[in-house]
Order: sequence, then structure tokens, then C-alpha cells
Amino acid sequence: MLFSASLDVSNVWIERSDRDLCRDLSFTLRAGEVLRVLGDNGAGKSSLLKVVAGAMTPLEGRIMFNGQDVTSHRALLQQSMVYIGHGAGLKSMLTIEENLLSYCPATSPEQMQSVLDILDLANHQETYVKALSAGQSRRVALARLWLSQCPLWLLDEPFASLDVSGVAVVESKIQQHINEGGMVLLTTHQALSSVVTRDLVLS
Amino acid sequence: MTYLTFGRTQCRVLWRRKQDTVNALLFFVMVVALFPLGINPSAAFLAPAAGGIIWCAAVLAILMAIDGIFKEDFRDGTLEQWVVCGLSLPVLMLIKVAIHWFAVVFPLLLVMPLVSEMLMLPSGSFWVLVATVLAGTPCLFLLGAIGAALTVSLKQGATLVILVILPFYLPVIIFATSAIEASQVGLPYIGFVAMLLAVSLLSLVVSPFMTAVAVKASVN
Amino acid sequence: MSWAWFHRLGSPKSFFFWSKRWARPAFLSGLIILIVGLVWGLAFAPPDYQQGDSFRIIYIHVPAAMLAQTCYFALGVAGIVSLVWQMKIAPMFIRAVAPIGAVMAFISLVTGAIWGKTAWGTWWVWDARLTSVLVLFFLYMGIIALQNALEETALADKATAVISVVGLINLPIIKYSVVWWNTLHQGATFTLTEKPAMPVEMWLPLLIAVIGFYCMVMGLALWRMQTIILLREHRTQWVKQEVTDHGV
Repeated sequence: MLFSASLDVSNVWIERSDRDLCRDLSFTLRAGEVLRVLGDNGAGKSSLLKVVAGAMTPLEGRIMFNGQDVTSHRALLQQSMVYIGHGAGLKSMLTIEENLLSYCPATSPEQMQSVLDILDLANHQETYVKALSAGQSRRVALARLWLSQCPLWLLDEPFASLDVSGVAVVESKIQQHINEGGMVLLTTHQALSSVVTRDLVLS
Repeated sequence: MTYLTFGRTQCRVLWRRKQDTVNALLFFVMVVALFPLGINPSAAFLAPAAGGIIWCAAVLAILMAIDGIFKEDFRDGTLEQWVVCGLSLPVLMLIKVAIHWFAVVFPLLLVMPLVSEMLMLPSGSFWVLVATVLAGTPCLFLLGAIGAALTVSLKQGATLVILVILPFYLPVIIFATSAIEASQVGLPYIGFVAMLLAVSLLSLVVSPFMTAVAVKASVN
Repeated sequence: MSWAWFHRLGSPKSFFFWSKRWARPAFLSGLIILIVGLVWGLAFAPPDYQQGDSFRIIYIHVPAAMLAQTCYFALGVAGIVSLVWQMKIAPMFIRAVAPIGAVMAFISLVTGAIWGKTAWGTWWVWDARLTSVLVLFFLYMGIIALQNALEETALADKATAVISVVGLINLPIIKYSVVWWNTLHQGATFTLTEKPAMPVEMWLPLLIAVIGFYCMVMGLALWRMQTIILLREHRTQWVKQEVTDHGV
């Protein structure tokens, strides 16, 4: 599958708790690109991702997706993106499979099995999420990247609490995604070892 | 995510957390039991007061139950996912509240015969009680959801939601108990039930949008 | 018709300078009018033929009750303005006015109770009007509790706006349900609402007292809003300029 999409964020102002986080921030993300958002703690990295995802409203600014202004029609963008925030978005009382099916209902059992294999969760299909470790929950949350066909990924600290093998698997998936023309906007403190990224520094 | 998978997930989670619903029911029955114990167990006091006691207990139980409906979703990040999933947030809120309404009110109706016997409610008024519960409780859930969504980011218990939302429940309590009292003295009660339905329909129009606004403000 | 004035008032800066001009005159004129009305009402108006001098408490009770309702209505309107037009000044208005409304409801409850003691012989009667003021007081306390519990300003603003709008829609329903409930449970007793027509020497001071109360509260609200604006906009250049030039 080949994507071709673009994301234009122009003149965005973000305010939180009466504190300016971003002033007049603009950037463009093209197909096949990884944009890494860098900045100190509290610089507004997560807020920027939330603004793009539509969970937060900026004071000002415009967001264009595929040349279309989605500032006030966010659903257009939201249907072609995966956003994974700080919270994993998993229900502890549901099994891994049930959680993933609630996000990606079209997944076939074989597809599910293969993704869980990749993520080293093969025998946990029927395990409740509450029984998983932090790293395993993170893997389940990231499994949505394999299961949904969206060009834009917004990943907030995707590598948090992942072990070395987990980071490698996710990095290779990111590489594959941009090879297919996808776009990734991510915040992370660690450098990506195998993927070429462009950096956006928030001050 | 689709509306269907959202609803199914909600049902599943509620089913696996059935203890919460059981707790609300137990709370309801216990509050009801306080009145004969604390005031007077004679039929002369209980029969005319039964409708009011049942309704006050039901309102408290519903407030306790509704306080937590978004708490876990907020903590685990699913609330944020609903905001950004591209589906209409008011519709999602409506689905969620409707499922919770059913999950609490259906068992509540099942224990109604029990508590109305305990309080010696005249048998002629029982079906009026059921009608008021069916017509009035949607309003309680819809308004309560707004309060729950506004206070979801707070760690403290249900006190704040009760404080903020309880005054809005007064008309429902007044109309419901008036209907039951009217039926006990042989007056027409259908007007009160119609008022309850009207209040519920009004909150059906307002509440999903307000809940969505509150949820969006809370996830920031 | 041009809406420029509306938008100009909506910006905290121009509202601040506008309110700075009007707060003091509104408050002082309100105070003077109120004193005139109260002195007239308390000292010179003729005593009521039924209640004697005890009726004079209406010169405080009625204006306070009216203001409590008006303030709540204003909160609801500000809530709509805040949710629909996202005007920055509207949540500040809610924050400034909610405690004033609560105090007014409280004054009207206390004076109502005192009046009830002389008129009915008890401090409290479940009269429709007293009960609905009590509910109004609860509504105010809910808003204030919510405001204080939510630490993040943006969330607290949204929350109070939402509750104010829901309250605006619900207020008539609550009020009429209470009146209805009251007529169901009580026969026609002596009510505060349906008094025989007052002679002009009685209602004229009442009218003056009401106007005085309104002006005073307007002045108070403007002052409170100025404080809130200064607090919230403290990082802007104009606030720094203002504070260094004129002090706080």
C-alpha cells in the first residue's frame, strides 16, 4: 500500500494554563518523512501532538491535510491518523484482542495473530490488559500501527517503557511505513538508530 | 473505531465490572432501609412516604454510580482516543450514557417490587412508580454525565458531582413523587409522567453536546 | 449594524479600560441611590396595616432576591457567549459574578427567614419563593465549588460555562416545579408574593432600593473583573505598563 499525503501546520499558537507553549509555529510534513519533535520537559511537545490530533484547540493557527483545511473539520484528518498518547488507551478489563478489535474492527484473526507474534505477545491473546507489564501494554497500544491503514501517525513517546527488542521492532515498522509513503510525527528523548528523521525543536 | 465497536466495548467493560452496578443497587436498598429504621416502621408513615423515599434513594444511588463513568476512561487514555477518533463525540457520549442507564435502571426495576413491599407502597401505585422511573431516570443520567465529565480530572470522590448536579434533579424528584402521591389518592397522574418525559427529552437534546464539550475540556 | 464595539469589549484590555472608567461611578451612584431608598423605606414609608414595621425588610429582601436571579441569568448568558463565541471576557465575568450572586441569594434567604419569624412565627417555611431561592443558592454554591476544585483555569472556565448554560435552561423548570410542588402541599396561606397592591409611598422607595442595588452590584462586578483581568493577563505588556503607571 502506498500513501501520498501531506500535513501543513501553519502559525499555530498553543496556550496552556495561561502559559504560551508554542508561538507562531509552522511546519510541513511530507509523505515518507519522520518529524521528531524535540524540546525540554514542558516545552509543549505533547500539546503539539494533541493539537494536530484535535484533542486540544490551539489559540490560533491552521492545519491543512492533503491541501484541505481541516482546522474546523478535524474528522477528515482523524479518520486517516493513528494517535497514541501517554495513556495507552486500553481497557484493563478487556483482553488484548478485544482492545485491539475495538479500535480496528476489520482485523482478521490471522492478521491479529501475526501482529501479536511480531510484538512478542503471541501467547497473550486472551490475557486481560490489567495483567500485562507496562512495556507489554505499550506494545499492545503500538499494535494499532500494524492493524490500521492510516497515512499519518502521531506518536507521543512511543518508546517509553519498551525494551531494546521492542524499540527495534517499532523502529523497523516506522521505517516500513515511511517507505510506503506514510508520515510520522513523534516525540521522543532517545535518538532513533535506524530511521532518518528531521527534527523540530521547540523552545 | 465505529459506533458499534464503541458500544460493544462499553457493554463488555460494564459486564466485567458488574460489581459496580451491584454496589449501586446495594446502596439503594440500604438507603431505603434507613427510613423505617430511622423514622418509623409503621404503614401509616411508610405508605404515603414510600414514593419519596424510593426516589431519593434512587437519585443518590444514580449519582454515586454516574460519578465514575468517565474516571477510568480518563486514567487509561481511552477518553482521549474517543475525542480524536473522528466519530461524533456527542453521539459516543449518548451511546455511553444510554448503556449505563440500561445497566443501572434495569436491575433497579428488578428490585423495585422488593423495596416497594418493604415500604408498604400501595399495590395500585407500583406501576406508576415503574413508569416514573422509566420516564425520569434518563434525565438523571444525562445531566449526571455532564457533571461526571466536568469533574473527571479530579481525584476526590463523588461529593463535588453531587453538589453540582443535585439541584438539577429537583424537578425530576418533584414530578415523580407527585405522580406517585396522586395515584395514591386517586387523582390523575399521567400529566406528571408526561412532564418527566418532557424533562428527559429536553436533557436528551442538551446533554450529549454539553458532555462532549466537558470531555474535550477535561482531556486537555 | 456594526459589531465592532462588541468585539472591542470582548478583549480584556479594552474591557479593562472601559470598566476602569465606569466601576467607581456605578458603585458610588448605586450606594447613594441605595441609601436614599433605604432611609426612605426604613424611616419614612408608612407601616403596613397588617405587618406593621416588620414589612420594611422587603427593602433589602426583594432587591437581593431579584439580583440573585438576575445574576444567575447573566451567568447563563455569559456561559453561552463563552462556549459559542469563545470570548475571553465571558468566563472572567462568570468568575466575578458567581460569588456576588451567591451572597445575594444568601442575604435574601436570611432576610426571608427573619421576615418569616415575624410573619409566620417560624424561621423557615417551605414557601415556594423561599425554597426556590434556596435552590438558587445551592446552584451558586455548586458553581463556586466547581470553580475552586478545578485548578486549571481553562478547564474551570469551560466547566462553569457548561454548568451555567445548563442552569439557564433548567432554571425555569426548577422554579416552576417548586411552585407547583408548593401549591400541591400547601393551601393558600399568607404568601410573600401576592401582596395587596402597595401604596406608592411604599413601592417607590423599593424601586429606588432595587436600582441602587443593581448599580452597586454592577460596580462591584466591574471591580472584580478588573482584578481578574490583571491576574490573568499579567504577562502582557499593557498590564505591566498599567501597573507601573497607576499601581494596583
